[in-house]
Amino acid sequence: MTAARAAAGLALLLTAACTAPAPPRIEASTAAGMACARPQGSPGAETATTIDVVEQAYFCILGAYYSGPTLDARSLLTAGFIALTQELNRNGRDVPEATMPALTGDRKADWTAFEAVYRKITDQVPDLRDRLADVTLEAVVAALGDNHARWTRDVQRHPDHYDGDGYGLGLEANVNGRQAEADPGVALPPLFVTAVQGGAARAAGLRPGDLIEEIDGSAPFVDGQATPAITSLYPRYPQARPVKLRLLRQSTGRRWTVTLKPGLFPRDLAGLQVVRSELVDDDIALVRLAGFSPDSANRVFRAVSRLRTGRTLSGVVLDVRGNGGGSPVEATRLVSAFVHGKPTAHQCAVDGRCQTMWTDDTVELLGLPLVVLTDRGCASACEHFSSAIKDLRAGTLVGTRTAGVVSGPASPYLLGDNTLLSFPTRHHLGPDREVIDRIGVAPDHHVPLTPKDAAAGRDPALAKALTLLHK
Amino acid sequence: MRQILAVAAGLVVLAASACSAPTPPRSAAPSVTPTGPATLPTPTGPRPVGTTVLHLTDTSRPDPWDLDADARELKVTLWYPAKRGDGPRAPYMTPKESELVLKGSRITGAPYDTLSKTHTNAVEDAAPEGKRFPLVVLSPGFTKPVSTLTSLAEDLASRGYVVAGIDHTHESYATTLSDGRVAECLACDSDTDPGFGPRVVQGRAADVSFVLDRLPSEWDGSGSIDRSRVAMVGQSIGGAGAVAAMLKDSRVRAGIDMDGTTYARMPKSGFTGPFMFLGTPQHVPGGRDTSWDRDWKRLTGWKRWLVVTGTDHQSFTDLPLLAGALGIRLAPGALAATRSAELTRTYVAAFLDQHLKSRRQTLLDGPSPRSPEVKFCPTACATL
Repeated sequence: MTAARAAAGLALLLTAACTAPAPPRIEASTAAGMACARPQGSPGAETATTIDVVEQAYFCILGAYYSGPTLDARSLLTAGFIALTQELNRNGRDVPEATMPALTGDRKADWTAFEAVYRKITDQVPDLRDRLADVTLEAVVAALGDNHARWTRDVQRHPDHYDGDGYGLGLEANVNGRQAEADPGVALPPLFVTAVQGGAARAAGLRPGDLIEEIDGSAPFVDGQATPAITSLYPRYPQARPVKLRLLRQSTGRRWTVTLKPGLFPRDLAGLQVVRSELVDDDIALVRLAGFSPDSANRVFRAVSRLRTGRTLSGVVLDVRGNGGGSPVEATRLVSAFVHGKPTAHQCAVDGRCQTMWTDDTVELLGLPLVVLTDRGCASACEHFSSAIKDLRAGTLVGTRTAGVVSGPASPYLLGDNTLLSFPTRHHLGPDREVIDRIGVAPDHHVPLTPKDAAAGRDPALAKALTLLHK
Repeated sequence: MRQILAVAAGLVVLAASACSAPTPPRSAAPSVTPTGPATLPTPTGPRPVGTTVLHLTDTSRPDPWDLDADARELKVTLWYPAKRGDGPRAPYMTPKESELVLKGSRITGAPYDTLSKTHTNAVEDAAPEGKRFPLVVLSPGFTKPVSTLTSLAEDLASRGYVVAGIDHTHESYATTLSDGRVAECLACDSDTDPGFGPRVVQGRAADVSFVLDRLPSEWDGSGSIDRSRVAMVGQSIGGAGAVAAMLKDSRVRAGIDMDGTTYARMPKSGFTGPFMFLGTPQHVPGGRDTSWDRDWKRLTGWKRWLVVTGTDHQSFTDLPLLAGALGIRLAPGALAATRSAELTRTYVAAFLDQHLKSRRQTLLDGPSPRSPEVKFCPTACATL
């Protein structure tokens, strides 16, 4: 897979929407300097990444990234050089010239020194030139250690893909893909299936609640610590190696092994809708919001208003579990239906200067009690929303802690090879100026899902929410 | 995707968007002084054309977009060979529909009722000729009323087809319902959802089957329809709907997709229905939208993939013909509106004549010196 996920774990579903609102022209151009520009329209066909593109990205980061003005640029070049030499080694093509040049801390001079050595190396291995540029640029971006910094090229889709299809084993587990790749540290055993979406998992008869005891012969947890084996549950095209699972169904005591081959599978179209709503217990509006896509706040408002017609509601449950984020503007608008006149977040530069995102008080208050269902799949704008609801006491959070993937809204920049580099120009802080990134938002009521609940189709978090609203 | 109803060549289809029409930048429609109401070109066939509107309600299923509607109401516009060609010409659309379409499309350079003043050729509620003709179902692009395909519909009727144009309620900026209410674009809310395109075409296929079921009993002139010879033609997601309808309903024997990204799943074992892709230069093999490449491999029967140079996504609709009236300048290098209309009419009719009237069309065999703009893909269009 040549798709470079520069910052592992940023597989947000709604990447297209997961960007900051376009800043005023003047800010974008001065911030980025001459190195890179915001994309206008859809980019042309991608061309090979060259050292000139790496240079462009390097100065783009230094000019526009959140901590660009202060970061030690040597850390980027060193990370790039490490990746470069590792790739040479991996190909059995190490060369004597592959020695890191001395760096002085002068950003321009250091780049010049780096580029000179880089060119000497790639001249010896011209056939590896494209690949070496890829890994170098990936590593430079990864060195930011920022979960909203990413560079992607050549994202391939299965040629037989139809809109709405999924790719993989066809299952979701209690440790989701992003968590498995980026931050398995907080995952708790046991590993179990939470949803069977289709494909190989459905064909093999897996069910929610089935415990996954081994993945390709490895334990998912060792001494309570999640292992990288869990990432094998979430292959991406073109990864197609079959994955062997040892399973235990607690209800019957059955223990067995299946081999699941990754592939395309159709998903339920109705279930893919970003906003879904239903009336529960005749007096609670339950609205599921899968992402903060354009218009999503208005869609939630319309759903509630429809369910409210002709009856008195006792409250609203907003289910944002698995909501991978999207537009901060939509998150702010949704908060604004429950509270006015407050900050929902602060977007801060490295020098501590912040822009405050206030509630949009043109949004009509719903005037209904609110419970928000959260989990580790609630990321980015979803955490902006959840933290604001909690801090501003506009509602009650029920479920588990959010993802902690909310460094700041990412802005895309177009590079010379027509690839997109994106990263935050500001970092996100909650309404009380607290850091949420990597920490997440703790729910008011911790209600985790157990394998038994999953097997029985129970939703204890929703049950708790209904209890709270009926009090 | 609220695509602008504007004409802007050279736009690329956004890979991520649910529908096939690109979203032009706001400034894509350079304004010029409107020329006054447009006149649609005269139909080229020998027969006078009549038109009438039916409102049909499918009580067997809820509306897919209006959660409070437990039935699906559709507006169907019929164009057909008429006994006589004299009488009042049918309106293009109502002033209210014109206003909603222009507002939705963010076209502000002309009075909002401009489209309702468009001169058409079909005689309102004229008596049908009385012979039997093949039926062509027409389906418009997302957000568009089917009247945006009137030039094509009138031409087909003049050549001896009954045309049933469907306004897929809530998928258009404006659909006047039987009680006079004007339904707006509820589906526009969710057009960025994953799986949106497949949901739309699934619904359109159901709309088509329902219309085919009901036409015989709902239209006095239905004796003019040879129900054994039915095809479907659509623009943008309407073209994707043609694929979906053919896959679902074997009564639809042949189809044309005019520049629409396709969404309905074709069986891997292949699909034999005669089919034609008719696209812009953005829709060449290996282009950004990969859906035609994918489905082309699965089409195992008679098939063509034509790409017309100088066209954009709206070139196969009435929009270029209306551009002057709307104060929109055609993009540099674009085909003249009369030429894109002529090519659309000619190639669509050739396909239908071949597959519904069993008249072999040499025009479809390969490039023609009279239509140098039309390239035959995938083999002969590599240079575009």
